[in-house]
Amino acid sequence: MYIVLMYDIMMDEKGAKVQRNAFKICKRYLTHIQKSVFEGNLSELNLMKLKKELNLYIRDEKDSFIIFKSRDEKWLTKEFLGKKDNKTSNFF
Amino acid sequence: MKKITGMMIYYYFVCHRKLWFFNNDLTMEHNSELVSIGKLIDETSYSREKKNILIEENINIDFIKDWKVIHEVKKSRKIEKASEWQLKYYLFLLKEKGIEIEKGILDYPLLRKREEVFLSDEDINKLKEVIKSIEEILGEKRPPQMTKKQICNKCAYYELCHI
Amino acid sequence: MGETFYIFKDGELRRKDNNIIIESLEGEKKNLKAEVAEEIYLFGEISMNTKLLNYLSQLKIILHVFNYYGFYSGSFYPRESNVSGYLLVNQVRKYDNSEERLRIAKEILKAASYNIYRNLRYYNGRGTDLANPMREIQSLTNRLDLCTSISELMGTEGNIRKTYYSSWNLIFKEELFDKRVKRPPDNMVNSLLSFTNSLIYTTVLSEIYKTQLNPTISFLHQPGAKRFSLCLDIAEIFKPLIGERMIFSLINKNQITEDDFDRDSNCLYLKDSAKRTILMEYDKRLKRTILHRDLGREVSYKYLIRLECYKLIKDIIGEKEYSGFKIWW
Repeated sequence: MYIVLMYDIMMDEKGAKVQRNAFKICKRYLTHIQKSVFEGNLSELNLMKLKKELNLYIRDEKDSFIIFKSRDEKWLTKEFLGKKDNKTSNFF
Repeated sequence: MKKITGMMIYYYFVCHRKLWFFNNDLTMEHNSELVSIGKLIDETSYSREKKNILIEENINIDFIKDWKVIHEVKKSRKIEKASEWQLKYYLFLLKEKGIEIEKGILDYPLLRKREEVFLSDEDINKLKEVIKSIEEILGEKRPPQMTKKQICNKCAYYELCHI
Repeated sequence: MGETFYIFKDGELRRKDNNIIIESLEGEKKNLKAEVAEEIYLFGEISMNTKLLNYLSQLKIILHVFNYYGFYSGSFYPRESNVSGYLLVNQVRKYDNSEERLRIAKEILKAASYNIYRNLRYYNGRGTDLANPMREIQSLTNRLDLCTSISELMGTEGNIRKTYYSSWNLIFKEELFDKRVKRPPDNMVNSLLSFTNSLIYTTVLSEIYKTQLNPTISFLHQPGAKRFSLCLDIAEIFKPLIGERMIFSLINKNQITEDDFDRDSNCLYLKDSAKRTILMEYDKRLKRTILHRDLGREVSYKYLIRLECYKLIKDIIGEKEYSGFKIWW
């Protein structure tokens, strides 16, 4: 399924650590497209693994993660305003 | 002859072909989402308990409490009968070793459900027959005939069987 | 199914934060999503260390390396974790039984030549008269059945390919000849063909890796020391659909022209930008899906290759005779 994930992390004294870890974890599963936004194709299994890893760091009262899911990338249109990029490309 | 494992008992009740393929190392589980999800649930749930106790090479118990109750963790109840027999087989093997286990429990952490399993004398007789039947299947040169079932759709061996 | 990454820039590939990172010489970085990556193709000049290779091995990611000129150098193929002694013994037995080997080899070539025929039929239906080569290929295909040895099969296959290749200039659009005055030079098509073939070889290798088949024991090709010959066997079947259709389309749509080759090399070497164009197209084609008749499921062209492996497995264990993939749509 196609995923867009974004988060808000409260930047108190432990916030930096949470953010650092969340960022590293997300990058192993998804493409980092904007400051705290990631996207990519994940299987049900990988999504479960990602959530499991993130749950180790998320503080229920302080941090918020949102995941948008779509069955397939084709049911999602992406439009750029301003600067366009090709970060999600598998070519480098 | 390999020792009969709990997995083999489980597969016997799920599908004889799967049992045969599995035994000849023609495994497809590594390609399967469902199997890995099962493993993940197993790893994530009940992390406080003593986990995965390997007794000899054929008993791999998910966890055990005071040598009285053994647990087996499953994802869904779709193939409950197979899970029950897998547990009964462990109870049977432990009994043969002189360890009297009170009961087995099937845990479904995702469903927040559990099921108790006991071993009767009748079960023991049935298990002995099953073991014989498994040995026959494993001795075959070719995989057993396919019987189309509802569960085939989600099986890791679906493509191998249907192509 | 996992993702494939194609790296053209020069730089360094390394493990960092339990992830795979490519950093170009200019300092540009990209994460190759360790959890979802399945294959990495390297076309640039990349340095790396064993720490990375160990990590790739752990994740079962295959690395395919191409040299500066676009020629395939080899693959880093993680330790086999998927082995079946039972299957291996029987695969060798099949190979060793000359009747069985011939039967499977024949089936591979029959499927391959049928797919070649279908390519011609496709273009024949689009205004190019290919009736003659089609007829010839059909009669050569029929002759495959009568072959009694591998070398005879190989000879007939050579003739099929010769007929097929000689019809290519008809497939390439007329206006192209007018514009450029001359036909696409042989070297250009040859270079495209060998580049595409090496890509198919690597894709087949990656799919075989996911099964218990041993890639060195083949049926049509002589089990060779230099290459994984089972890849060559299976590639034969998919070249027409995946590789050659792509070449026709790339040339006819002017996506690849003589300008994409290094002229001094007499069109032997593809420019970097051209390799990129071809790979984008190749990647797209591997992802194309089709409803599989026997499975009742959508499968990608890439997955068709895996299914071919499964069919071979079923033949090897004596369950069902192998029948090669033939384009059915």
